[in-house]
Amino acid sequence: MLVSMINLMIKINLSKEEIYTEELSIEILNEYLGGRGLGVKLLYDNLGKGVDPLSPQNILVFSVGPLTSIPLPTSGRLSLVTKSPLTNTILHSNSGGFWGPFFRRNGYYALYITGKFTGSSKGYILIDGTNIEIKDASELWGLTTEETLKKLTALEGNCQVLMIGPAGENQVKFASIMNQAHRAFGRGGAGAVMGSKGLKAIAVKNGQNKVQPQNPVYLKKLNQVAADKIRVFPITSQGLPLFGTAVMMKVINAFGMLPIKNNQKGADERIDLISGERLREKFFEKNESCFSCPIRCGRWTNTGDQRGKGPEFESLWALGPQCGIFDLKIITHANYLCNKLGLDTISTGNTIACAMELHQRGLLDRSISFGDSQKLMELVNEIAYKRNLGKELAEGALRFAKKYNGTQYAMQVKGLELPAYDPRGAMGQALNYATSNRGGCHLTGYLIAMELLGVPKLIDRLSIAAKADQLVLKQNQSAVEDSLIICKFVGFALGFDFQIRFLRAVTGRDDLTIAELVKIGERIYNLERLFNVQEGFTRIDDNLPERFLKEHLPGGRIVPLDKLLDEYYHVRGWDDNGIPTNEVLEKLNLKR
Amino acid sequence: MVIDKATFREFQIVGKVLTDHRYNTSHSGNISMRSGGKMLIKRRGAMLGFLEPEDIIETDLYQQDSGIMLSSTETEVHRQIYLQTDAMAVIHAHNPFCVILSLVEDEITCLDAEGCYLYKKIPIIEVENPAGPADAAREVPKVLKNYPVVVVRTHGVFAKGTSLIDALQNVTGAEQSAMLRYYTLLLGKPLKRDLSKEKFFSEW
Repeated sequence: MLVSMINLMIKINLSKEEIYTEELSIEILNEYLGGRGLGVKLLYDNLGKGVDPLSPQNILVFSVGPLTSIPLPTSGRLSLVTKSPLTNTILHSNSGGFWGPFFRRNGYYALYITGKFTGSSKGYILIDGTNIEIKDASELWGLTTEETLKKLTALEGNCQVLMIGPAGENQVKFASIMNQAHRAFGRGGAGAVMGSKGLKAIAVKNGQNKVQPQNPVYLKKLNQVAADKIRVFPITSQGLPLFGTAVMMKVINAFGMLPIKNNQKGADERIDLISGERLREKFFEKNESCFSCPIRCGRWTNTGDQRGKGPEFESLWALGPQCGIFDLKIITHANYLCNKLGLDTISTGNTIACAMELHQRGLLDRSISFGDSQKLMELVNEIAYKRNLGKELAEGALRFAKKYNGTQYAMQVKGLELPAYDPRGAMGQALNYATSNRGGCHLTGYLIAMELLGVPKLIDRLSIAAKADQLVLKQNQSAVEDSLIICKFVGFALGFDFQIRFLRAVTGRDDLTIAELVKIGERIYNLERLFNVQEGFTRIDDNLPERFLKEHLPGGRIVPLDKLLDEYYHVRGWDDNGIPTNEVLEKLNLKR
Repeated sequence: MVIDKATFREFQIVGKVLTDHRYNTSHSGNISMRSGGKMLIKRRGAMLGFLEPEDIIETDLYQQDSGIMLSSTETEVHRQIYLQTDAMAVIHAHNPFCVILSLVEDEITCLDAEGCYLYKKIPIIEVENPAGPADAAREVPKVLKNYPVVVVRTHGVFAKGTSLIDALQNVTGAEQSAMLRYYTLLLGKPLKRDLSKEKFFSEW
């Protein structure tokens, strides 16, 4: 079995305020590991077709993986799977910090939540060993994430807290679930799902059951070699610790693929004003790390007026250049505000940028112009509280643009707003955006690592040759990483070779091979696809905004999406419409 | 970034020579030069023998910056060499004969006339973690203050030059001397003439 000792799942039905635990089957854990894989399996098996994501029937599955809380690099992550209210696709997300290890040390592997508090009741969940309680959250409702954390910590003592802010309470379609108020399950609107259930927070106290690896001697040796590699590799030893993820700002701009003004341009000469270097010079206060992480890419910042975490690269870009804004202080404050309100920064920035372009094109009769930082701050607030135009923007860029007859100006795939890499600059990443099961996502198969960063080896970013093959492998590997669960950043230095060895050391399963692990990833990816197919998604939805298929970007190329998709489906063993074939399902032990 | 044609051509020539002469694997080795108060350096993961303009990364000479995300893993060694020596260009390669001799000797004493003329001896240093940049960044510049080329035991050479082409000569020259010494030692016979015993050599 791939999981040692602890494999209990807490099941909570909020409608009945019913709590019980059950043991997860060894078969499921062997086939799906944990984290994302386990969540996807539970959602697929238990959520009916066509369920409204904001209805009581939707399910939230939080889960850890076989490596969680073990003393090895970046073993502190936690996964979440649900149905997205923004995209109606499956949604997987993960977040670092300490919640996952605290939870696992209580003897648990997964938390499965369904139902909704009755009437206007609001609640929060407290997990403390075998004591699992639902408590009244009426005094927490309406508070920002920072206020919630402060109040809950005062009430419950030392604990880790997942919570929503006003955006989640108001069911903004791209509300995030915040982790200790500053980390996030950012994408796809999981915060709105929590809000729809009346669930404000989930607090967990640190458990006492340390999970022991089966082969501690081997693990110790592995850790020594891993530490050397992380220390030697410049991205993990210098780039990320020094500048955080914002280190990518100048890099992506240099390749001419940093989206500016809703992807109308790919570079801007003002980039030095908002670079990772400038952020460090102006506002850096101190590094912060997740559980068992030697990289320490997190950072506290202080603008003189306000203090908070971040901004991360994607937030810095979405609330900055994508909206035509190059004022570092304003962007940083907008990022703090999104965190307090519980909003996904990528979707927030992109949706506002979409409105700005609609105004530029004469389709939106409101004074919302690129570069208007005052308006940015106003709109962030209006979105979270669904006030004025914010009520419409809270539906996300696609629905908003549709309403104003400008769908082509929504930079999204399947309704999920795109991240900070213009797909015309990297063909593998373009294909990943189109085919990601949760919509326009960069992390599902981060081929930027190869196409730009040369990790593990450089490939031609503009070529389409073998990109489908590369991407399928990367997507499968990422599904495994998200199920073990470890951070993608440590993968830069260690690669897949280490992941299999860590798993061997922890489980004692010396017979495990990389091929078996990749097959598990393939199984997870195909099951996610089956979920989406069941919801009516097909080839038509594996698309990119028209701009990327028709408009030239200097230093890039128009994306030949049809050709890329044909190859991708062929490599995946799917039919021409993007539906997994029976042969593939049989090979992976999956059923429709 | 935009790199001028002549500079790029120099990078290409040097990269190709190092690859063609098997001083590196398909992807190892790195080369850099000073330029306008900054450093131009090979991109991580790029193949030295087949460089494209996009494979030359500009990064700050005096402090770490976001160029580290793309530039060679050994960028910090190059930076410290520039900051502590008179180097205008730096090459790092895995010269096979230099590495072989580094496994059994503490310096490579040149036996051939050109080697003696140019280098006399090539220092060998040992660092705790030879594959990583941190130890080399600390130790290599100390030696390159006084010598054009140094061997890091088990790893390879770092050479400086007044230009990339000059640094290339130091890499190839060191390897030539190491190769001649290696084969000479294999013969196991006494030398008819040993230049290392002649004037100024031991004090060099």
